[in-house]
Amino acid sequence: MLKVDNIVTRYGTIEALKGLSLEACEGEVTCLLGPNGAGKTTTLFTIAGILKAHSGSITFEKDNLTNLSAPGIVRKGVALVPENRLIFPQMSVEENLVAGAFARPRKDSPAIDADLEGIYERFPRLKERSTQPGGTLSGGEQQMLAIGRALMARPKIMMMDEPSLGLAPIIVEEIFDIIRLLNKEGVSILLVEQNARMALKVAHRVYLLEGGKVTFNGNPQEMQQDEVIQRAYLGAGSV
Amino acid sequence: MDDFWFEFVEVTQSIGDGVLFGSTYALIGIGFTLIFGAMGKLNVAYAAAAMAGAYSSLAIYILFDAPLVVIFIVSAICAAILGYLVYLTCFRFIPVHNHLAALMASVGGLFFIDEVIVHATRGSPLAFPSMFSEAYFEVGPYGIRGDLLFVFFIGLISTGVLLYVLFRTRLGLATRAVAQQDVAARLCGMSIHLTNSTTFAVAGLLGGIAGAMTAAAVGILSPVMILPLTIKGLIVTVIGGLGSIPGAIIAGLFVGGFENVVMYFRGIDERDMYVVALLFIFLVFRPNGLFGKTITRD
Ligand SMILES: Nc1ncnc2c1ncn2[C@@H]1O[C@H](COP(=O)(O)OP(=O)(O)OP(=O)(O)O)[C@@H](O)[C@H]1O
Ligand SMILES: [Mg+2]
Repeated sequence: MLKVDNIVTRYGTIEALKGLSLEACEGEVTCLLGPNGAGKTTTLFTIAGILKAHSGSITFEKDNLTNLSAPGIVRKGVALVPENRLIFPQMSVEENLVAGAFARPRKDSPAIDADLEGIYERFPRLKERSTQPGGTLSGGEQQMLAIGRALMARPKIMMMDEPSLGLAPIIVEEIFDIIRLLNKEGVSILLVEQNARMALKVAHRVYLLEGGKVTFNGNPQEMQQDEVIQRAYLGAGSV
Repeated sequence: MDDFWFEFVEVTQSIGDGVLFGSTYALIGIGFTLIFGAMGKLNVAYAAAAMAGAYSSLAIYILFDAPLVVIFIVSAICAAILGYLVYLTCFRFIPVHNHLAALMASVGGLFFIDEVIVHATRGSPLAFPSMFSEAYFEVGPYGIRGDLLFVFFIGLISTGVLLYVLFRTRLGLATRAVAQQDVAARLCGMSIHLTNSTTFAVAGLLGGIAGAMTAAAVGILSPVMILPLTIKGLIVTVIGGLGSIPGAIIAGLFVGGFENVVMYFRGIDERDMYVVALLFIFLVFRPNGLFGKTITRD
């Protein structure tokens, strides 16, 4: 479905991605693990068109995304819930959600209204706070808002960058329930996580990123069987 | 007692006149603040582009004897186009994080526009048509000048329309989104360049109206009006709080009233000196202005 082929992405002269390839399949949860600075965020930003790949190609379904701008990529059905949520702090919760549907054509507006109601049903807490500025929400609520905002674009694949970052365990559970549910509803997911234990429970396929390259790829069982990885990322002996 | 009463009426009258004229400063301040809010950068060429808009509309007046409404519209449109050109030449291709380069480019823009106007008019002032300058209303001991009232209402309407666009339309949503979180705005499908150029054009519309208002209130257009308008616009922006629209409105009216009352006591020669002193007082005691930041990048 989404195919990343041998991309190189640079910040100035620093090469953050050094020929990275991966594939996310339709209907699956694909998980990207890796230490800090491995290039996970850079990968998602390059796919989303926030950063430009220096070389390599990105294709989604039949479309070549490599040279599209960020707005063009959302329109193809690829959305990103960014690291640290990046809520519009002074806009109301409802405006944040409506902004998520910006890429959709104007004639979609009845469907957009219906989707907004759908988001409110999914996240009742957002409905309660619909007129409150986004910046005043708690971390967990902001994460729900960021997910809701991305869903407003009606993505076929949703990329999520560390959605559990800085959240209490109970909220993390909630976020992972949402990921499972969305996936069941047919949204493919490309998930970046530090919380490997939780991530492996929802993932169909796992990629391990180190130093801007994929160093392992397989299904969660294979990953858990690999001793080196087990020690480094899952804590030895206890899965 | 009678002397005191007379003095009191004169002083409040001059404050009132100044506040009405201050609506032009408010509009210019809103323009500066809008662009600052969107990009986090000062467009110093802004007021010059606004005056250039007024000059273009004067050409329409001289050539076709167009009515004043048309002159205002033409001034607004020309200043919007110039605003867009300033964006293209001074901001569009300069790296986002290079604030100094953008600032210097827009200072260059200011002097360039100024030079072009001086060259085209040989530096001499031109008469600008005013409206309702014969009208005069008496309210108790006070008199309200029709032309100032007109200028004030135009300012009020323009501000109202701007706030509507900013808070009730798709364009306004994108403008605020780009200003608050540009990465998220792009992820939502908003184009930064498109939004920024529209912001410059919309600010230009306001500037063109303000330029025509200033000229209509004073009755002339002259290149020597460009620098003071730029400086007062910047002062208003700082006093109001960079990025704050309500701040720019209040500060604009305040500076208008302040400079007029200073003029009443100290004469026109000393007026601008006190206005600049006001800037220093604010920078020292309230550097974030009256309203801090409300629509800036976080
Ligand atoms: N704006 C930037 N300028 C220069 N270098 C950057 C920039 N952003 C990231 N990098 C570098 O690129 C590399 C990859 O960063 P990236 O943010 O993609 O890592 P990550 O895997 O998401 O890490 P984390 O788990 O901490 O979020 C790092 O070495 C980082 O220092
Ligand atoms: Mg990251």
